[in-house]
Amino acid sequence: MISKTLMKQTIKANITLWAIMTLVQSLCLALMAGIGQPVALTGVAFYNMLPGILSGIYIIVTSNKLLAAQVDKGTMAYVLSTPIKRSKVAITQMIYMIGSLFAMFAICAATHIVATVFASGSISAGDVGTIIKLNLGLFALGISFSGICFLASGFFNLSKHAIALGGGLVGTFLLLPIISMFGEHFAFLGKLTPVALYDINSIMAGTGNFIWECMILAGIGTVTYLIGTVSFVKKDLPL
Amino acid sequence: MDEVIQINGLTKDYGDGRGVFDIDLSVRQGEVFGLAGINGSGKTTIIRHLMGFLKPDKGSTSILKKDSLKYAAELKRSIGYIPGEIAFPDIHSGMDFFKLQAEYLGIRDMSHVKALSKMFNLDANAKLKRMSKGMKQKTAIVAAFMADADILLLDEATTGLDPLMQSVFTDLIKEEKRRGKTIFMSSHMFAEMESTCDRVAFLKNGKIIHVVDMKTIRGNEKVKEYKIEFNRESDYEEFLTCAFDITRRQDEYRQVTIHIPDTDIDRLFGCLSTMNVRFISHHPYTLEACFKEIYNNTEAA
Repeated sequence: MISKTLMKQTIKANITLWAIMTLVQSLCLALMAGIGQPVALTGVAFYNMLPGILSGIYIIVTSNKLLAAQVDKGTMAYVLSTPIKRSKVAITQMIYMIGSLFAMFAICAATHIVATVFASGSISAGDVGTIIKLNLGLFALGISFSGICFLASGFFNLSKHAIALGGGLVGTFLLLPIISMFGEHFAFLGKLTPVALYDINSIMAGTGNFIWECMILAGIGTVTYLIGTVSFVKKDLPL
Repeated sequence: MDEVIQINGLTKDYGDGRGVFDIDLSVRQGEVFGLAGINGSGKTTIIRHLMGFLKPDKGSTSILKKDSLKYAAELKRSIGYIPGEIAFPDIHSGMDFFKLQAEYLGIRDMSHVKALSKMFNLDANAKLKRMSKGMKQKTAIVAAFMADADILLLDEATTGLDPLMQSVFTDLIKEEKRRGKTIFMSSHMFAEMESTCDRVAFLKNGKIIHVVDMKTIRGNEKVKEYKIEFNRESDYEEFLTCAFDITRRQDEYRQVTIHIPDTDIDRLFGCLSTMNVRFISHHPYTLEACFKEIYNNTEAA
């Protein structure tokens, strides 16, 4: 199913950026818990902005490196001159991407919980649930973003094209909600992106909306990852 | 006979006349087959099809009777490959790279790598990024031969190598041929192909214009070319009147170049015996000469 050798290589090549992005988010969360920010307020104060952008940058850069950049540079020739199927390469890279995002938000959630316990001596079951849901939502958002970038990376043979499409879309999705904050006229823009499906209000209010919204995000991810894999398997490689 | 590599009606059209068109080739077990042609004539495109990296527009390529696109991964167990453009993964040294490839290939024994590195005088511990063109090429050669694969697909394997290393490479090819390997190589170094290949296909604008059997080149040709210079003008004039196939006259040097069948050689010596000859030299018919002749005489449609 996956190539262990390739997985090791992929982890080695991408772990630095992953570690930086994970660390920054964890530190912010620890800091916020440290100054006594109630979990109920962190949704608006932190989760609705920074993690999306940080993980977005990680996703744009890493997705390109997983397939397109290796074809562009020609290093993929050495992977594919060994008995590994193209589908195995794509699936290995996909699992790395999803796994690394899961680990990122699992660590963030754990940090937030632990830091809250340290700061206020205890944590309510409701707060633990909220933190997990907030991070689960980010993970779902990450899956849809990384799927879009993975599709671009699998489809194009040139890094610049993969970045232009994947990075362009994800960057726009992240920017629109920010623009929408500048006034009533722009408010509709925020609703046009998948970021709107990361429904912090629903999570905070405890309604069930966020569940199907997460499922839509995961659905976007599933479809785009699938198309990315198929294009990579079928296309002509200039190696 | 055992056809190892089979190319049937392969066409890949990149537009503007670029690509390859209606290529038919077959390479037998144990044969060394060369592809000659100028840059952009389609050598790399053919090899990429054999590697299963490209999908033919028409026709098919197969290795060991298996479609090279469909069975790409499986076939790699039998193939060693040198890409036309070499780019190593982002790792430290040559040895790290060999170890990584060995892991992909499931090779434990690195003694073959060491022997090959020694053969090419390659410092495998040098940093990949700092390597010169020649060193990178050597590293790619070692990587292609390290698995001791039965089939070798070599795309311009000696670019960037110094003449000494080119001859080491030629020796390696001969040795691998002796051990029964099937080798498919592209090159624009005629000397290298002349000394290693059994057959060479000439490519022009993506089409095969000729396949030459090297046996007809290596001094076995029936018609030979000689260049003769005369000391006296009178001998020169007289020689011109003899009915020889003169391909070139250089009046100012009193030199002629003639084509003469082996069966006629006595007549030549008979004619020359009374003349004052400054020198006579045999011009061997080289692959390069053969290529130029055919290349220039072919109107590529």
